[in-house]
Amino acid sequence: MFDLDLIISGLANAMTLTNICYILAGVVIGQIVGATPGLSIIMALAIAIPITFALDPLTAISFLISVNKGGTVGGAVPSILINVPGTPESAATALDGHPMAKKGKPLKALKYGLYYSFFGDLSSDIILILIAAPLAVLALQMGPVEILALMILAFTVISGLVGNSMIKGLTAAAFGFLLASVGLDPATASPRFTFGMLDLYDGLHLTALSIGALAMSELLHGMVNTRRGEKSAASIKINSKSKEDSHVSWAEVLANKFVAFRALIIGTIIGAIPGLGSTTAGFLSYSITKQSAKDPEKFGTGDPRGIAATETANSAVVGANLIPLLTLGIPGNIAAALLVSALMIHGIQPGPLLFEEQGELVYGMFGAMLIANFCNLGIAQFCMRFWAKVISAPKTVVFAAALLLCLTGAYVADGGTFAAFIAIIMAVVGYLMRMFGYSIVAFIVAFILTPQLEESIIQARLITDGDITMLVYHPIAIALLVLSVASVVFLGPRGNRKKKAKNVTAGDEKNA
Amino acid sequence: MFSSIMKKASPVFATVACALATPALAATCPADFPDGPIALKVGFSAGGGTDSVARKAASLLQQQQGWTVYVENHPGASGGVMAKGLLKADSKGLSIGVGSTTTLAINPYKSKDINYTYQDFNYMGTGMMLNYGLTTKSGKPYSNLEEFVEYARDKGRATVSVGSLSYEIAVRNIAKHYGVRLIPIPTKGSSRALKDALGGHVDATVQGTAHVSQIRAGKMVQLATLTSERATYAPETKTLIENGLDLAIDGHIIFFTPKHTDSQIQTCLTEALAEVTESSEYTDMMNKLQAAASNLGAEGTTSYLQATSKFYQEALAK
Repeated sequence: MFDLDLIISGLANAMTLTNICYILAGVVIGQIVGATPGLSIIMALAIAIPITFALDPLTAISFLISVNKGGTVGGAVPSILINVPGTPESAATALDGHPMAKKGKPLKALKYGLYYSFFGDLSSDIILILIAAPLAVLALQMGPVEILALMILAFTVISGLVGNSMIKGLTAAAFGFLLASVGLDPATASPRFTFGMLDLYDGLHLTALSIGALAMSELLHGMVNTRRGEKSAASIKINSKSKEDSHVSWAEVLANKFVAFRALIIGTIIGAIPGLGSTTAGFLSYSITKQSAKDPEKFGTGDPRGIAATETANSAVVGANLIPLLTLGIPGNIAAALLVSALMIHGIQPGPLLFEEQGELVYGMFGAMLIANFCNLGIAQFCMRFWAKVISAPKTVVFAAALLLCLTGAYVADGGTFAAFIAIIMAVVGYLMRMFGYSIVAFIVAFILTPQLEESIIQARLITDGDITMLVYHPIAIALLVLSVASVVFLGPRGNRKKKAKNVTAGDEKNA
Repeated sequence: MFSSIMKKASPVFATVACALATPALAATCPADFPDGPIALKVGFSAGGGTDSVARKAASLLQQQQGWTVYVENHPGASGGVMAKGLLKADSKGLSIGVGSTTTLAINPYKSKDINYTYQDFNYMGTGMMLNYGLTTKSGKPYSNLEEFVEYARDKGRATVSVGSLSYEIAVRNIAKHYGVRLIPIPTKGSSRALKDALGGHVDATVQGTAHVSQIRAGKMVQLATLTSERATYAPETKTLIENGLDLAIDGHIIFFTPKHTDSQIQTCLTEALAEVTESSEYTDMMNKLQAAASNLGAEGTTSYLQATSKFYQEALAK
């Protein structure tokens, strides 16, 4: 089944000088953007995509994947140093990383983050390379009925995991649902919510919408919280006088091997399920590790296990996310969705036929991913102190420059000034959602999944002729629907019970 | 086999044709044209078929005529956003629209928000013709249109995944002609429609070019060719017309300017486009895209759109 020639020539394609230069550049750009508070890696990808128009497909994809990988590592830096996550997925890293830095061990914390991130990313890439090809053969089994069941499953898992308040999380998702219905409906091509504007016929642009809701709203939030004359600088001094406090030994890394391994599994599974992302993986892994530990009270005080659990899991998602993308054509998260648009621009349709039609490119891409992992490790080792300097750039400069970049990104990526207006409107909407505690992640994920859900409903109804007993001929769909029911029954209430239990323990501790 | 001969031979033919044609075809343009850079306004996003054709045409226009030509993407409503905007351009001929049959012959009858028809524009010609085909996965109990229709009759219904409205109209017309239940399954993009056909989730699919490599690999069978002539990759398969239907679905990429463009400039642009589509570099690219580098010319395009618009106006009125 494996065509060795194809694999070798694909990998060899990845090893060209041009490619390696672009991978290095991508990793550096990703790390800088990830390390800059307020700049999201999604935005970096969105801005980088038009740059790749002129490149050949493999170089373009290698570059984008490197930016994504760089961003995941860079994102941990501001979380650890100033408690401001550079990227949403590193938000859980701040929980233990920042306390460790405050204890005077910032470099040690950064290195812990880097090593576990490298482990998670590399391992999940290897899992992707080994399992994605056989998965591609199975992917053809996923017809409209099966995809519909998968979408239902994705929605139930999201509703169980996103946000503190179930009501607010569901409201945000419903809002995503609503905005996704703008444009021509997939069954009869009649316009919905277009108000006579032709620009709205194809719906709201995903890139513009995500730049606005995720990146620009974060910048607005930052600007509102900045006061005149305030200087932004890392509150922690980086001292590397004590070797003990600035280095991580092999023994220290290996001490958390079980935590890291479990985080890898969580990250890979969550990454392979479309719609869930690094942020969820990071928090889920963190909370499971904390709950299963004998000494949960140590978490939050600078425990390396906290960093290991989060960074391994959120980095494992980066590789695993490509499993549904490469095999089913379903983007696992926004970064993968942006990767889809980049592939399409180069005339490549991600999906079950990708391995068949673009095998050499896919294996080239795998090669590039492996190279990018090592570049990521090397560059981060070398430049850690520099990233800390980027953090201390004045906010007045960073925010203004970033806003301009966001607008340019929306303008270039999607349809001109109209997309820029969408981004601005979504920035305000996103800011308000943030202020009132509505999950922007639930909103965006719902926005991305809805068109697929709607199309599958229409197709499934036509294919089964509206006869629900036809489901008997779709065993995969039945299995997925059973899983959805199980996730509603077990994940939702059980999560709440655990939370309550945790609150009780926390209360007991205070009393004691 | 056949197409590999075509690929080797076509540059030779094209070069000969080009050498013969160039003196006669050298575009006659007003002395002061162009009065600035020329924009090719593409009605689809960067990366699609129409976009790649426009980019090729832009670079060849630049080479052959010495003009400065750039490509602008104005995606939305199957080229409707671009065409609506193009009406506002002045008469200097510096804005050229690049759209599809859907942009000009289907859009005006599909939506109230489109305020133009094909008559509001002047046509330079066409750049590419797509070979539409009704195809299915190999190993099905049917391998041509008659057998497929019989299968649908026996089973009571058959499903056909379609990636665009014009394909859907074609399926409905076939069903009506034979009096069988063919159910078009609307799918976002032809690639997903192809995936569903290969996975055996639908009984057939209508495809533009994506299925050609599958047919070569023996994984799919062409049941009927929807264009007016047989496809080079499936020479045995009959067209709908040969099957007795008065129906041919042709898809073209069309170059156009607003009606009010200066007539001398219109002639100049038409001739310049003809020079592009006859160059060997251009025909080579078309071969790679599995399509024909057909240029209907200014008058041919207008009469094609007249007939096609009438067909879709009637089909969509129902």
